[in-house]
Formats: sequence, C-alpha cells, structure tokens
Amino acid sequence: MIGRRELFGATAASLALAKTLTADAAQTAAGNVVAGPGAGLAKPIRGAVQPRGMDGRLVRLPTLDLESEQDFTRGFRLLQNRQLRAASFAAFERVLEREGLDQAAPITVEQLRALIERDPVVNMASKTWLDNQHYTWKTLRDHFHAHADEYLSEMEAADKTGPGTLDIPAKIDVPDYARHEIHIQPGGYVGDPFAGHLYHYGTNSFYVATTLGKNDQDEAHKSSAAKLPLPADGKVKRILDMGCGIGQLTVALKERFPDAEVWGVDIGAPMLRYGHLRANKLGVGANFAQRLAHETGFPDGHFDLVTSYLLHHEVPADITLRTIAEAQRVTRPGGVYYPLDFASGGLKSPPRSMYARWWDHRWNNERWTLEYHSLDFTKEISQRGFSMVKNAEAVIRGYGIRHGVRV
Amino acid sequence: MATDSKRPTYTVEAIPSDITSSVFLGNPALDNVVSCLIAMNAEMWATKRRMKVLEALLAKKGVTQAMIEGYVPSAAEAAEWERERDRFIDLAMGPLGNQSFRNISENFPKG
Repeated sequence: MIGRRELFGATAASLALAKTLTADAAQTAAGNVVAGPGAGLAKPIRGAVQPRGMDGRLVRLPTLDLESEQDFTRGFRLLQNRQLRAASFAAFERVLEREGLDQAAPITVEQLRALIERDPVVNMASKTWLDNQHYTWKTLRDHFHAHADEYLSEMEAADKTGPGTLDIPAKIDVPDYARHEIHIQPGGYVGDPFAGHLYHYGTNSFYVATTLGKNDQDEAHKSSAAKLPLPADGKVKRILDMGCGIGQLTVALKERFPDAEVWGVDIGAPMLRYGHLRANKLGVGANFAQRLAHETGFPDGHFDLVTSYLLHHEVPADITLRTIAEAQRVTRPGGVYYPLDFASGGLKSPPRSMYARWWDHRWNNERWTLEYHSLDFTKEISQRGFSMVKNAEAVIRGYGIRHGVRV
Repeated sequence: MATDSKRPTYTVEAIPSDITSSVFLGNPALDNVVSCLIAMNAEMWATKRRMKVLEALLAKKGVTQAMIEGYVPSAAEAAEWERERDRFIDLAMGPLGNQSFRNISENFPKG
C-alpha cells in the first residue's frame, strides 16, 4: 500500500510526521517550441559534466558526490520512517494522554496544533525531515544551475527532436495556484529551468518508505500503466495523461500501448521539457504539450483512456471539478477515466492523521491538499458523466479507486 | 541561484515557500545547528562512499597506502581542492547564517 504519508513522508516526519494536438502539432503558432519525429538523443552533453552511464532507465547523476548526497537523503528518509516517526508518534500519544484525549476525541486541528507544537520530539522530527528535504533540493539545484548552459543546451536540442513531440506555446498564462513550491521544491514546477531534473531525482527517494521501496526505474508508473483498465471494447488508440509532470506515466503508457497516440499535458514547461528529453533518450514516442488539465484543447471524445498521476491534490478543488468536466468532454463514450491520486473524502479523521495532513499542507507546502481532501473525488466523478465501475480494482493500493466509464 | 546562461528557460515566477524562515526548536540557532548536522552528515557519507570507490579501484591497480600518504598535490589540484573545501563548508556550515523568525504556529502569510 502506498499512502500519502509514506510517499511524501511529511506526515511521517511531523508526527514524528492541447485547438487539436495531434501529429500535426508542427502547425502551431510561430514562436512555439515544436518537436517532430527525428533521431533520438544519443550524444552526451558537452562541457564539464561528463556522463556517468545509465542505471537501467535512469541516467546516473552527473557526479559521484551528488549521487552520494542523494543516497544519504534516501537513507535519512528511512531513518525518519523507521525511528523518528515512531518517536514522534509516541510523543503525540503522550500529549493526548496528558490532555485526556483519545483518537476519537472531537478536537479541531487548531486545538491540536496548540497542544502538539510545543513537543520537542515532534518538532525535532519535523525539523530534520524538512532539512533533509531541503538538502535534497539544494544539492540537486546547485549542480544543475552550476552547469546551466550545458543542461539548457541539451534540452534545447531535444525540444526539436523526437520520436515524440513537444509543444510549448509562445504565450500561455500560468495560474497562481500552479506557482507554489510544492514539496518545498525551489521554484516549484514552473519557476526553475531544471524543475524536471530536480523533481525526477528528488522524488525518487520519496518512494523509499513505500512497499515499492524505490522508483528509480519508474516502478510506480510502470505498475500503474500496466494495471489501468481498458474500455470494454478493448480499443485504445489515444491516451491522455493530465498534469503529467515529467511524463513518467505518459512514457509508461506509451510503452504499454506502443501503437497508441499518447499525450501528456502539464502547465510546467520545465517539467515537460525534461520529460520530452527523457522520453527521447528512452526512444519512446510520447507527445507532450503545455496545457492546463482543465483546458486541454483536444476535440470532444478524442481519447479512449484519460488518466493522471497525483495531480488533483496539487490543485484547488474547483480546478479538480473543472478537470473532471474536461475529462468528460475529451473521453469518448465507453472510454475510461481513471485518475490516480490519494483516497479523499472529508477532513474528519483521528487527531494524529488530522494533524499530519495539516502539517503536510503547511510545512511540506502542499497548498491544495486540504481542499482536495474536502472533496469526495469519486462521487464528483460519478456526477459528471461517468458511470463508476462497481468493485473496481485498485491500480495503486491505498489510492482512491476511481474507474469511470464515459456514459 | 540565478543561471548565467542566456538560453530561454520557459519559467515564470514561482510563489516561494517560507519554510527556511521557520523555527521548530524554539531557538533559531538550535534550528540552524540541526540543519548543519543533516548537511554535514550527508557530506561525510558522500566522502565515505567516494573512499569506498577509490579503495576498490586502487586495490585493483596496486596502489599502496604509502603511495597515498606521500602524495603531494599540484598547484592546480590544490586550487581545485580549495574550491571543493569551500563548497563543503558552505553546505555543512552555511545554515548557521539562516535568518529564521517565523513561529511554528503561524498560518500562511496574507497576500
């Protein structure tokens, strides 16, 4: 089971806690970055950064020190999960016991904060978790910015090559809600030219405390792609991955359905550029476009399968509702909509979980997670043109089971 | 850190997190010391991991301990090592200069 608490770990620390976008994308407006079919990237980038080879499908980090620093942060996450969280949980329980409260106690998160935030054990777990997260981002960011021209040059070259396509409009409005530094990643997904690089190497360690143990080889995304259900008629010619980030699921879907036209859309251009670069290196012809998930620009009924990976808890609730409506519009009748995200449906939970969710929101800078959890996401999908499959199987254990079929 | 490249970055301004100004341990200096500990231990592990690589390679090439002890770095090497030292110290001790003031109970800033 992969829970938000395990995957993004902040809880663990603080409690101890696409107009049509098809193959003719090359006809987009002048000034756009448009990639088309072509040779994949085989050349290493030049300059001070020397390639260190591949670890399976993961490009090894460019220096041994940087690799070791990330190895440390991964190890520290394990320490957090195995020891510091336990200590924090125990401290949390002691506070509740001292106050005569139990897990069923009717208490608000504000009241909890007043009780818990003075506990040194909980606070040490919080502080060290955040420092470890900060260190992950800083070391990665320092490296990529120190060699900025080389890495930007590499992405520039990839922008215009294939086998897949990349469409970044010359002008697009990036809404404020997408500009936050989620997971305290510096620059977030839109403000740093190497947001994709940082996200990829930084979030790999997020999986260390899950049942998967790692995601270096896209284990989570490949597993998800393999398990996503098909339309009843078995027809899968076009697939859309909404809010695709660096396109790990997009690529995995293209690998599962090599004959299908697979699109990943996201508002973060640096994320898409990295995703496109990486897809090229893997020789996977997935297409990427900078679009909002709720304004994809694709024709009505265009896709057989529409999905997303951990998008909705990163956007405001009203954007989630608009995104469901967009999914309804672009999914063909009989097509499948299966967004992958944490289980949701209410903010009432035992004190420890309630405080953990608030902590994740506040200190891991998950700005929209409380809004997400205020929604019954599954119910909202069922009320927007989808028939929910009864007794559907979980694609990822612990996530919401949301197998919608377009009516 | 701003990039010194003139190539397009396709970025827009982000809304920064205020995490680096948070105080969790009641005393900003104590928070900074803990930040140093995390960074220093990471750097120490990176060094130990590199040593493991070196020892494995050296053993295969017949490099002795005495050869290592008697090595004198060139001027270029010395300069490079100084740059590495400064990076190390910045990573390990730089957080002592953090300007932390935000109380852990604070909500998001208005605006």
